[in-house]
Amino acid sequence: MIEISNVNFQYGTADIGALHNINLSVADGSCVLLCGESGCGKTTITRLLNGLTPHFYEGTLEGEITVNGLKVKEEELYIIASRVGSVFQNPRSQFFCLDTNSEVAFGCENMGLPEQEILKRREQAVRDLNMEKLMNRNIFRLSGGEKQKVACASVAAMQPEVLVLDEPTSNLDLDAIEDLKETLKLWKAQGKTIVIAEHRLYWLKEICDRVIYLKEGSVLFDISMEEFRTFPPERLEELGLRRMTTVAADFPEEPKTANLWKTTNLHGATEKSAITEAVEPGVQKQATLPAIEFHNYNFSYEKLPVLKVKDFSLPEGSIVAVTGHNGAGKSTFLRCMCGLEKKFKGQTKLHGKWQKPGQMLKECYMVMQDVNHQLFCETVEDEIRLGMNEAEEAKVPQVLKELDLSELTERHPMSLSGGQKQRVAIASALLADKSVLIFDEPTSGLDYRHMKQTADLFLHLKKYGKTTFIITHDPELIAMCCTHILHIEEGEVAEYYPLTAAHRERFLKQFSFQ
Amino acid sequence: MQGSLLQPDEKRTGITFDPRTKMFLLLTVAVFVLGGAGGKNVDLLAPMLCVLPVVLFLLAGKWKRAFTYVLIYAAAYLCFWYFGPRTTGIVNFLLLALCGILSRFLPGIMLGMYLIETTTVSEFTAAMSKMHVTDKITIPLSVMFRFFPTVADEFSSINAAMRMRDIRLGGKNVTKMIEYRLVPLMVCSAKIGEELNAAALTRGLGGEVRRTNVCKIGFHMQDILLFLIALSPYAAWIAGLVA
Repeated sequence: MIEISNVNFQYGTADIGALHNINLSVADGSCVLLCGESGCGKTTITRLLNGLTPHFYEGTLEGEITVNGLKVKEEELYIIASRVGSVFQNPRSQFFCLDTNSEVAFGCENMGLPEQEILKRREQAVRDLNMEKLMNRNIFRLSGGEKQKVACASVAAMQPEVLVLDEPTSNLDLDAIEDLKETLKLWKAQGKTIVIAEHRLYWLKEICDRVIYLKEGSVLFDISMEEFRTFPPERLEELGLRRMTTVAADFPEEPKTANLWKTTNLHGATEKSAITEAVEPGVQKQATLPAIEFHNYNFSYEKLPVLKVKDFSLPEGSIVAVTGHNGAGKSTFLRCMCGLEKKFKGQTKLHGKWQKPGQMLKECYMVMQDVNHQLFCETVEDEIRLGMNEAEEAKVPQVLKELDLSELTERHPMSLSGGQKQRVAIASALLADKSVLIFDEPTSGLDYRHMKQTADLFLHLKKYGKTTFIITHDPELIAMCCTHILHIEEGEVAEYYPLTAAHRERFLKQFSFQ
Repeated sequence: MQGSLLQPDEKRTGITFDPRTKMFLLLTVAVFVLGGAGGKNVDLLAPMLCVLPVVLFLLAGKWKRAFTYVLIYAAAYLCFWYFGPRTTGIVNFLLLALCGILSRFLPGIMLGMYLIETTTVSEFTAAMSKMHVTDKITIPLSVMFRFFPTVADEFSSINAAMRMRDIRLGGKNVTKMIEYRLVPLMVCSAKIGEELNAAALTRGLGGEVRRTNVCKIGFHMQDILLFLIALSPYAAWIAGLVA
């Protein structure tokens, strides 16, 4: 039984409260979804339950929180830890050991359980989560989904009564989400109490039985899942929430950009692909835009071939969604294209000329998932001028204005919000005269409103004639702004097609989460 | 995931040693090769200590690492031996400094890498708790084990970002280069460190209960052999002091 009564909370550094007058009670064995826009306070509530607030993230806390009889405010963190298990958003930063075997046992070791008991519990957790294959591995070599599974097992081995998950699917692909869903079903069957804060909602339809919507630190409504499921998509949009069902995207009859889809076989002869013919007969005439062609995209890592892409091409100026499982080779493909892999020898035809990887390095810019990696200067102004092409000087104010950065030129880039940082990185790429932009999961962990903003930004970039590649697992984003899909599996191009009405079914099939 | 520097191997091959043996060996090399303690008697044994990392790398199946080490060390040593007496002034000084630093530091660094790459965090904590070291020292040290690969990982991402912005080493702004690298590195490391900390606390780390450790470590024949080798310079040192 979880009881939160009259809770007000304010983080130590903040001016305004994170939570206002929260009253909640959660019965044993139920499963609660916390949702709302970014910054609504859902993460803070999960922290109240596992004791990270006020013990780790400090601030002023009023009111009473009781979790299964434990008074969170007074109790030590390690006591709470044995009763409340937590899974977090970032799979990279929630494992403590470097190998999976030690990691699953880690929590139990901290509890000081006898050795035999720990081994028994570890075995149980591994069997329950069906992850025998993941044992004896270096965690750094696992994919995001696999890491998240190890985190779940580590928590499960501690056998807590309450489980708290804070945006656990932000970095996962659709299959990994299915896997996590199975784990949650198991926990539910074991009678555990589960509280999840999430942006992606569709996968929780059958798991959660109660939905709590927060806005600016207060509970706006607290209803059953049955009732929540009757909300029409427009209502969800209004609330800033992601959809509950497959995206019902309306793709145009014509491709959004002029098309030049063709595959080249190994002897260099060009043949029209079925895709081109499927689109429109008139496409051939429009095909005047130059194409980016990919040749000899093969790459091995420690003698293991990780990339073996047959030659293909796509039109410049498109927005290409690069999809596929975690670890399928999407990042490797794009790193090779950018010229970041030193041993990669393949060539890319851009602006009608064959470019070596070293030349591509000058043409491409990747906005990384953690954009903090690429902000170096003390002010936004310095940042966007660093590496700028002299000839672009006149464009500076315009780019700043269009990316909504004019007000921020004197700020330190690291002091900005995530979305602003992303825009600074884009601005620097535009001014450095890059012609290919690459985004690595730009919308992971974003709510509806921010995701929409990002999509609008990509559409806006098209105006600059940039070709954009977006690594993403987010069907909503793809439906909003992408012109093509490039689906990579096991280091090969599984399929690629323009997002037109003719290919609607294909898109829905790839992203079916019914 | 790029590079596997300072990360434990997935497939452990060859002969393995107890972490305590490796730590003692590292201490011995630090004292006698880096510190140069022990006087004349030990001078004969020091080269043996310098050869040890090669043997260990070979036993762990790291042929490339062993070969590179031998090459660099031999080059530094020969350079010193051949050019040392034949040069004078500033050149001699620089040569002396470079070769001296290389030949003294390298064995220790190599052994340190061997220790980190062949020891898992739980082996390390098990060894520390068997030596009755308090958790207050063990936990921060084990965090460092976790942190090295993380920082290496962050560093390679930052490097990639810099290459795409065409910011390269050299030219007039060397200090800027360091700044550009360190600022994001520190911001990212601090962020990961905080998340890591929160995750560890919710797994009950830092409680007053005595931690158990399921990892099995213990001394075997090979450990005894290595211990005897590592003890020999101490014996020679003491013999020298007595005589």
